[in-house]
Amino acid sequence: MIKENNIKLIFLSLSLLLIILIFFFPFFWIITSSFKTPAEIIATSTTIIPRSFTLEHYNKILFNSDFFIYLKNSLIVSFSSMIISIILSVSAAYGLHKLKFYGNKFVEYSLLVTYAFPGVILLVPIYLLFAKVNLLNSYFALIIVNVLFATPFAVWMLKAFFMLIPNEIEEAAYIDGASRYIVISRIIVPLAAPGIASVSIFCFIISWTEYLFASILISGDNLKTLPVGLAGIVGQYQIDWGFLLSGAVLASLPVILLFVFIGRYFVSGLTEGSVK
Amino acid sequence: MKKNNIEGWLFVSPLVIWISLIILVPIYIAFELSLFNVKIIGTSGKFVGIENYIKLFGKSKFLNASLNSLYWIIGNAICQTFLAFTIALTINYKFPGKKIMANWIILSFIIPTVVVVVIWKLMLSSSSGVINSVLIDIGLLDDATGFFSSPNKAFISLVLINSWRWSPFLALIILSGLNSINREMYDASKVDGANFVQQFLFITFPNLKSVLFVLGLVGTLLSFNIFDIIWLITKGGPSSATTTLPLLIYETAFTKFRISQAATLSIVTSFLLLLFSILFIKSMAPKEDD
Repeated sequence: MIKENNIKLIFLSLSLLLIILIFFFPFFWIITSSFKTPAEIIATSTTIIPRSFTLEHYNKILFNSDFFIYLKNSLIVSFSSMIISIILSVSAAYGLHKLKFYGNKFVEYSLLVTYAFPGVILLVPIYLLFAKVNLLNSYFALIIVNVLFATPFAVWMLKAFFMLIPNEIEEAAYIDGASRYIVISRIIVPLAAPGIASVSIFCFIISWTEYLFASILISGDNLKTLPVGLAGIVGQYQIDWGFLLSGAVLASLPVILLFVFIGRYFVSGLTEGSVK
Repeated sequence: MKKNNIEGWLFVSPLVIWISLIILVPIYIAFELSLFNVKIIGTSGKFVGIENYIKLFGKSKFLNASLNSLYWIIGNAICQTFLAFTIALTINYKFPGKKIMANWIILSFIIPTVVVVVIWKLMLSSSSGVINSVLIDIGLLDDATGFFSSPNKAFISLVLINSWRWSPFLALIILSGLNSINREMYDASKVDGANFVQQFLFITFPNLKSVLFVLGLVGTLLSFNIFDIIWLITKGGPSSATTTLPLLIYETAFTKFRISQAATLSIVTSFLLLLFSILFIKSMAPKEDD
């Protein structure tokens, strides 16, 4: 028994070390690098503890670039996509998993398969379609697409939470004369609140990180989102690393802040909802 | 529970209509385009029937991209399964800091892909990257290597970067499956003298079936669709070694301006993915007792 526990302990420590090195060290690296002088960032000999400290890159990106325009665009697109996605997926998940209708398995699997269609396959035809109906260069173009990407998985995530709510609670409410609307707004939504919170973060992240469609459907500089703005710097021949790194850190900050406040719902939403 | 046909459909229909419109109308447009010979967006071309399809299958570029996509899916599946299980099984143990790690392991998934690209371009840079200098310091490399300079190295580096982004997210979904397994089964197996490898093979793995089904389906399709990480790092190079089907479609449409060819590619690709999904669901879907 003791021997097996020792082996377990060694395995556990090794994999913990590996996980920290692989998944956390890169963040330490780019955050500290964004405060280094340009010379130290591209120095051939690397030291783990930074030798220099400067705010010049942040100064440049905050006061001498279009950062705030991109930030505003990303916020508008991500929040709108998130709200629409939640409304649509909560309603669909309720219908799928609480009402059980003829064809619900088909809809459930089709929703999962819709992951096959998003992405680059739809890029050309959506571009043409939006050009025809005059939607290019608008927030709405990005919102339509982001909702499409976020909702299939959102419905799947909500399933676990809806399944946890006992049908008896609902039935008792109906016997007391409650309408469907009352049941959903007073019972289902409050009881599934952690699930809805985690789905919200998921939808926000999907929109916040989307690059491909944002780069094609938007051409005006004043409507570009953060990922597209950043990618513009990545593509330059002579990369200004300090500028790019501070931009990368700032572009990640909003999702990280969101995560500080409701991240635990997201993680528990993913891990604790029993998948049955 | 009794079935509620009309009401059920009513609740599902807003989403179903939204998704169908945004998928089916573009697919129709793409199909129509694939029968014509349109080059630059906005111009019109002449009707060519199925000529685009016939030409496509004779193109070495299409074959190359399809194979790259296949290797991409397999490489990512192996790498992500390994990383995701390592993370999930580790976090499933009790250790100090477990909560913080479980909450923040997903950092690589919540940041924009462009930031992922920035991180790894810097870390793997041939002139000043920290990975190169560490590998040289511990004696694994003599000189700094360009991780994106040769076809094989570029492909493997991209698979690793993409897996770095996705495996924590997959790990959390696997954890949800682990949490739903009855603890008593492990205790019972311990009494019978099972070690932890046997526990993994005979309790953990079989009980993860429904989670693994969704991951196998969605994970494969999601890996197939990866575009930005590859495009922003290698642009499909060197010498088309990292051009997967999504990159080929993008290139054909937006840098070569062959809209009809790109549409044909999209139709063929959707068909292949649909075929895969149907076969996967038919053969792997876990039986559910309603």
